[in-house]
Amino acid sequence: MEKGGSKGKGENPEQCFDVPRALAERGITRRDFMKFCTAMSAALALPMTLVPRIAAALESDARPSIIWLEFQSCTGDTEALLRAANPTVGEIILDVLSIDYAETIMAAAGHQAEEARAKTVKESRGKYIAIVEGAVPMKDGGIYCCIGGRSALDIVREVCGGALATITVGTCASYGGIPAAAPNPTGAVGVKEAVPGATVINLPGCPVNTDNLVATVVHFLTFGKLPAVDGKGRPLFAYGKRIHDNCERRPHFDAGQYVESWGSEAHRSGHCLYKMGCKGPETFHNCPVQRYNEKTSWPVGSGHGCAGCSEPQFWDTMTPFYRRLPNVPGFGIETTADKIGTGLAVATAAAFAAHGVVSGFRHKDDESKDGKGGNQ
Amino acid sequence: MKQNQECLHETYVWEVPVRVTHWVNVLSIATLSVTGIFIGSPVTLGLTASAYVMGWIRFIHFVAGYLFAISVVSRIYWSFVSNRYAGWREFVPFLSAEGRRNMWRMFAYYTFMSRKVPHPIGHNALAGATYLLVFLLYLVMILTGFTLYSEHAPHGPLHALLGWMFAHFSNQGIRQTHHLIMWFLIGFAIHHIYSAWLMDVKERGGVISSIFGGYKPVQGRE
Amino acid sequence: MTKIVVDPITRIEGHLRIQAEVNGGTITDAWSSSTMFRGIESILKGRDPRDAWYFTQRICGVCTTVHSIASIRAVENALNITVPLNAELIRNIIIGTQLVQDHVIHFYHLHALDWVDVVSGLKADPVKTASLAASLSDWPLNSPTYFKSVQDKVAAFVKKGRLGPFSNAYWGHPAYKLPPEANLMATAHYLEALDWQREIIKIHAILGSKNPHPQTFLVGGMAIPIDPNSQNALNADKIAEIGELLGKMKRFVEKVYIPDLLAVASFYKDWAGIGAGVGNYLSYGEYPLDNSGKPEKLWFPQGIILNRDLTKVHPIDQKKITESVAHSWYEGGAAGVHPYDGQTDPKYTGPKPPYDMIDTNGKYSWVKSPRYDGKPMEVGPLAVILVAYASGHAGAKGAVDMVLKKLGVGPEALFSTLGRTAARGIEALLVAEELPKWLDMLVANIKGGDLTSHNGEKWDPASWPHEAAGFGWHNAPRGALGHWVRIRDQKIENYQAVVPTTWNASPRDEKGQRGPYEAALVGTPLADPDKPLEILRTIHSFDPCLACAVH
Ligand code: HEM
Ligand code: HEM
Ligand code: NFV
Ligand code: SF4
Ligand code: SF4
Ligand code: F3S
Ligand SMILES: [Mg+2]
Repeated sequence: MEKGGSKGKGENPEQCFDVPRALAERGITRRDFMKFCTAMSAALALPMTLVPRIAAALESDARPSIIWLEFQSCTGDTEALLRAANPTVGEIILDVLSIDYAETIMAAAGHQAEEARAKTVKESRGKYIAIVEGAVPMKDGGIYCCIGGRSALDIVREVCGGALATITVGTCASYGGIPAAAPNPTGAVGVKEAVPGATVINLPGCPVNTDNLVATVVHFLTFGKLPAVDGKGRPLFAYGKRIHDNCERRPHFDAGQYVESWGSEAHRSGHCLYKMGCKGPETFHNCPVQRYNEKTSWPVGSGHGCAGCSEPQFWDTMTPFYRRLPNVPGFGIETTADKIGTGLAVATAAAFAAHGVVSGFRHKDDESKDGKGGNQ
Repeated sequence: MKQNQECLHETYVWEVPVRVTHWVNVLSIATLSVTGIFIGSPVTLGLTASAYVMGWIRFIHFVAGYLFAISVVSRIYWSFVSNRYAGWREFVPFLSAEGRRNMWRMFAYYTFMSRKVPHPIGHNALAGATYLLVFLLYLVMILTGFTLYSEHAPHGPLHALLGWMFAHFSNQGIRQTHHLIMWFLIGFAIHHIYSAWLMDVKERGGVISSIFGGYKPVQGRE
Repeated sequence: MTKIVVDPITRIEGHLRIQAEVNGGTITDAWSSSTMFRGIESILKGRDPRDAWYFTQRICGVCTTVHSIASIRAVENALNITVPLNAELIRNIIIGTQLVQDHVIHFYHLHALDWVDVVSGLKADPVKTASLAASLSDWPLNSPTYFKSVQDKVAAFVKKGRLGPFSNAYWGHPAYKLPPEANLMATAHYLEALDWQREIIKIHAILGSKNPHPQTFLVGGMAIPIDPNSQNALNADKIAEIGELLGKMKRFVEKVYIPDLLAVASFYKDWAGIGAGVGNYLSYGEYPLDNSGKPEKLWFPQGIILNRDLTKVHPIDQKKITESVAHSWYEGGAAGVHPYDGQTDPKYTGPKPPYDMIDTNGKYSWVKSPRYDGKPMEVGPLAVILVAYASGHAGAKGAVDMVLKKLGVGPEALFSTLGRTAARGIEALLVAEELPKWLDMLVANIKGGDLTSHNGEKWDPASWPHEAAGFGWHNAPRGALGHWVRIRDQKIENYQAVVPTTWNASPRDEKGQRGPYEAALVGTPLADPDKPLEILRTIHSFDPCLACAVH
C-alpha cells in the first residue's frame, strides 16, 4: 500500500471502485493481479484457461454481502482470516467482500450491530453468504450460546436459512469440533446438523487455512456455484488428497526411516513422524502443499506430527495425538491394541498348552470302539 | 484297536479347492500378519531416503491382501457347489437341533466333561461354527483392509465402492479394527493348530493329513 | 434511572454482555455476563496429559499460544520435568511475539475505533496529516501522498454506501475528540497494522508451523528440532529470518504504535480519571531467563499490589487462589474453591432465550469469580507494568516515566481506562525490545554446541508416578493465566484453568464484591445511553477475551 498513487476528484464513484484500480492504488500492477488470479486457479486445481474468467469475476464490483457468525468458537478462524495474503484482509474488507456483520471486527456494538445483521438478512435475502465459525449447542434449548438474548440455534437457522450459501470455517462449525468432543457437555454440532436444509460447504481445519477460504469464495464469485465436495462436504480442491500422499517426508516413510524420539538425529534430519503419532495417513487436507502464513510452513514441516484437525470428531478419533492408534475403549491409557493382542495370543497358547497336558493324562476314549459318536 | 483300523477306509472329504484355499489362506495370513505388524510398529531399517523398506513391505501386504481376498471369496463360492463336507451348512450347525447336540458333545469333550470324542467326517460341529466366525473375521479384514487401501487413490473406483465405510466409522476406528482382528486371528490359529494336533495325534482322527491329501480315515461305509 | 444492555459487545473475542444502570449521565452500577460455554475442562478429563496443550490451545485462537504454554508448564510441574534451555528460549520468542502482535491488533483493530472517528478523517488535509505524523516519528511511509491515497480509498468506500464492518457505528458521537488529521493518521495505520501483523507472526510459523494455533509444543520441550546443518530443523537461515522479523516488529512498535498511542492519549487525558476498577493487581511474571523454573529468574517479576499501593509488592501464594460460582451458572456452593478441587458442571438458571434482561440478583454469567485471598484482582498489562514498576524493574521504570512525562500526568493516572491502554503499549514496547536478546541467547547456546530441544526422560507415561499434581503460570497478553492439573494413572483426573479474562470479567462473588469490569464501569460518564461508546472504551481497555474467560 506504500506506493499509492492518487486519483483525480469528481470521478464517478462507481468507476473509482473497482478491483484493478484499487489494486493500482496500492501499487499492485495488472501483472500482479493476474499472478494472483493464476495462483488462485492453481489453488482451486482449475485449468489455466479459466484464469481470465477468475479475473473478470473479481473485477466486477459485485461485492457479495457476508454475514460472519461466531458461536462456540475460539475466534481462531477469524484470526486466520486476518493472516490472509492473497488478497490481504485489508483488501478483503475494502474491495472483495462486503462484511456486513462480524462481531470481532465490526465497529458497531449492541443493538446497532444486531440491526446491521437484520438489515442484510432482510434486504439481501437469498443473496448473501453466511460464514460460520464455531459450533452450535443444541442441548437444553441452546442456552450454552446466546447473542443479544437469542440462542445460536435461533440465529443460525435464520441467517443460514436465508443465505445463498453457507461456508463453515473450521472444524467446530463444520462438525462440532472441540465443544463436541466427548462427553460433548453442550450437545454441540456443526452447522449442517443444526440447519439440515441449508446449502453448506465445509472448510474444516483448526483453524481453517485462510487460503482455502479465499479460494472457495473466488470459485464462487467466478462460477456462481460452490466447488465440488467429498462425502464430508469438503471441497475436493483442498481436501481431495491425504496429507500423507503429499508429505515431503513421505520418502522417509517409504524408505523405513522414522523419528523415534524428539530432538533425535532422525528428528533433526527430517525423518517421518509416523511413530510419533502423525495422523497424516488418515487426514484429508492440503497442508503440505498450501501450507500456512503465506506458505511459510505446516505442522510436519516444523517437526510435529499431523493431528488430523480437518477430520470430523478428530478430538476423539485421532487422540491420543502421540500414538498411532487410539486407545482401546475400556482399557487404560497405556494399553495398545498390540498389548491386548499379544496378551490374547499368549493366553490362548497357555490355555491350550494346559489343555494339551491335561489331555495327555486322559485315558483313551472308548467311543470309537462301538462306532458311535463317529461319522455323523 | 486292530479290528478298528481294519474297518477304516479313506474317504475323499476335502476337494482340491478346499485344500488350496486353506493353504493359500494360511500363507497369506502369515504374510499379512508379519507385514502388518511391521506396518503397525515399524523399526528404522532404511539407511537412506532412497531405500524402500516400508514401500516393499506394504506392497507385499497389499499383494497378499489381494491373494487372500480372492482365496476367501473362492472358498465361499465353493461352499455352494462343493461336496457336503465343505458345504455352507457345515458352518451353521446351530441351525438344527442335531447340530446343536453335536456342538455340545464336542464342547463337552474339549472341556473334559466327556471322554467321548466325536469323529465326524467333515468338520466337527463346534469347529464348523467357529469357522463361520473366522470367515466373518476374514471378511472384516478384507473390508477394512481394502477400505484403508482405497484412500491412496481417493475418489477412484475402490474409494467410491467403499466410501460408505467412512460415513459410518472413523478412519482410525477402521485401522484399529483391522489391527485388533489380526490378533484374534492369531489367537484362533494357535487354538486351531492345537485342536488339529489333538484330533490327529492324540485321538488319531487323521485330521491333519486330510487337509494335505483330502482323504480322511472313516469307519464303516457311508 | 435507566437500565441498559450492550449485547453483543463487539471488537472483542467472544460473547460478552454488559448490563448497566445509568443515573444522570453516569453509570452507577454494572454487571458483566458471558453468554457462551463449551466445557473444555470437562472434556479434558480422562485424556493423555501430553495432549492437554493441544486441547487448551483451542480455548482461544486470539491469544493462541498461551493456553498451550500454561498447560505444558502445568504438566511439567506435576511430573517434575526440566525443560532444555533452548526450548525455554524458543518459548520466550513465541510468547513475546504473541504478546506484541496481540497488543498491536488490540490497539488498532479492536480499541482504536472507540477513540478514532474514521469518517472524520475524510475532512483531513493529507499534508497536515503528514506533518503531524512526522512530528511524532520518522516512519518512512508517513508522506502526504500516502495519506492522500488512504483518504481516497476510504472516501471511495464511503461513497459506495456499503460500509461493511464500519456501518451503523457511533461516527459523529460527541465523545470523539481527535482532529481530522489524527483520525486519518490512525485510519492509515489501522490498515498498515493489518499488513504488519500478518508479516511478523510468521515467526510462529517458522518456529511452530502456523498461526493461529501453532503446532509445536511438547511436554518436556519443543517439537522444532535444532540443527544448523539441517534444512528440517531450526538452522541459521531460519534464525536469520526470525531476526529480521523481530526487527520489523520492534520498528513498528517504536515508530508507529507508541507514537500513535501517545498522540491519541494526549486528546483523551480526561480518561485518566475514569475506569479505575478494583485497585488490586496480580502478575505471575514472565520470560524465564534460564531453565531453573525459579520465579526470581523471570524477566518480568511476579507479585501483587493491593489498594493501588505502589510501595509494596506482595509475594503470591498459589493456595490463596479460589474461584466462586455464587453468581455463575454452575453446580457448587457459594464459597470459593481452590483450582485443584474446582469443578465446572454447568447448571443454567438464566432466562430462556429470547430474552431482554438477565436477572442479576441471582446467577448471571458463565464466568466464574476468581479471587485472591478473597479479593478481586485486576490482571493484564497494567498489572504487569505496575508490579514491574513497583519492583524496580529498570525497563518498566524507564518506559512508564517516559510515557507519564510525555502525557504530563502523574503515576496515579495509571489506575484508569487510559492507564490500562497505555500500559499495554508499554508492555509491547518492552517485550519487542527484549525479544532480539532472547534470540541472541538462543544463538549463543546453539553455538556452544547445545542442540537439545526436548527432554524425553518422562515422555513415556510408564515413567510417571501413580498420582501427580501441578500448576503452570503464564503472563498472557491479557494477564495472569494459570492451569492446574491432577494426573492419576497416566490420565487427567482434573483440570482447571483460571484465565486473565476470568479474573477481569468476573461477576460478583459470594460477598457481593464486583469484578474488575463491573467496578471500572461504575462512575463512567455516558453521553447517550443509546450509543454507549464510553462503555466500549472502558471494557475494551481490558481487551476482553470471553472464550478464554469461560472455556
Ligand atoms: C488377515 C489378514 C490381514 C492382516 C492380519 C492384516 C494386518 C494388518 C496390520 C496389523 C496392519 C497395521 C495396522 C496399523 O497399525 O495401522 C495392516 C495395515 C493395512 N492393511 Fe492389512 N491385514 C490383513 C488383510 C488386509 C487386506 C485383505 C488388505 C487389502 C488390501 C489389507 C490392507 C491394509 C492396508 C491398506 C493397511 C494400511 C497400510 C498403510 O496405510 O500403510 N490388509 N494390516
Ligand atoms: C499347520 C497348520 C494348520 C493345519 C495342520 C490345519 C489343519 C486344518 C484342518 C485339518 C482343517 C479341516 C478340519 C476341520 O474342519 O476341523 C482345517 C480347516 C480350516 N483351517 Fe486350518 N490348519 C492349519 C493352519 C490354519 C491357519 C493358520 C488358519 C487361519 C488362521 C486356518 C484356518 C482354517 C479354516 C478357516 C478352516 C476351515 C476351512 C474350510 O472349511 O474351508 N488353518 N485346517
Ligand atoms: N483472557 C485471556 Fe487469553 C489472553 N491473553 C488467555 O489466557 O485471550 Ni484469548
Ligand atoms: S475450529 Fe479450531 S480454530 Fe476454529 S473455532 Fe474451533 S477450535 Fe477455534
Ligand atoms: S510425517 Fe506423517 S504424513 Fe508425512 S510421511 Fe510420515 S506419516 Fe506420512
Ligand atoms: S493437524 Fe491440521 S493443520 Fe494440517 S497437518 Fe494436520 S491437518
Ligand atoms: Mg476454569
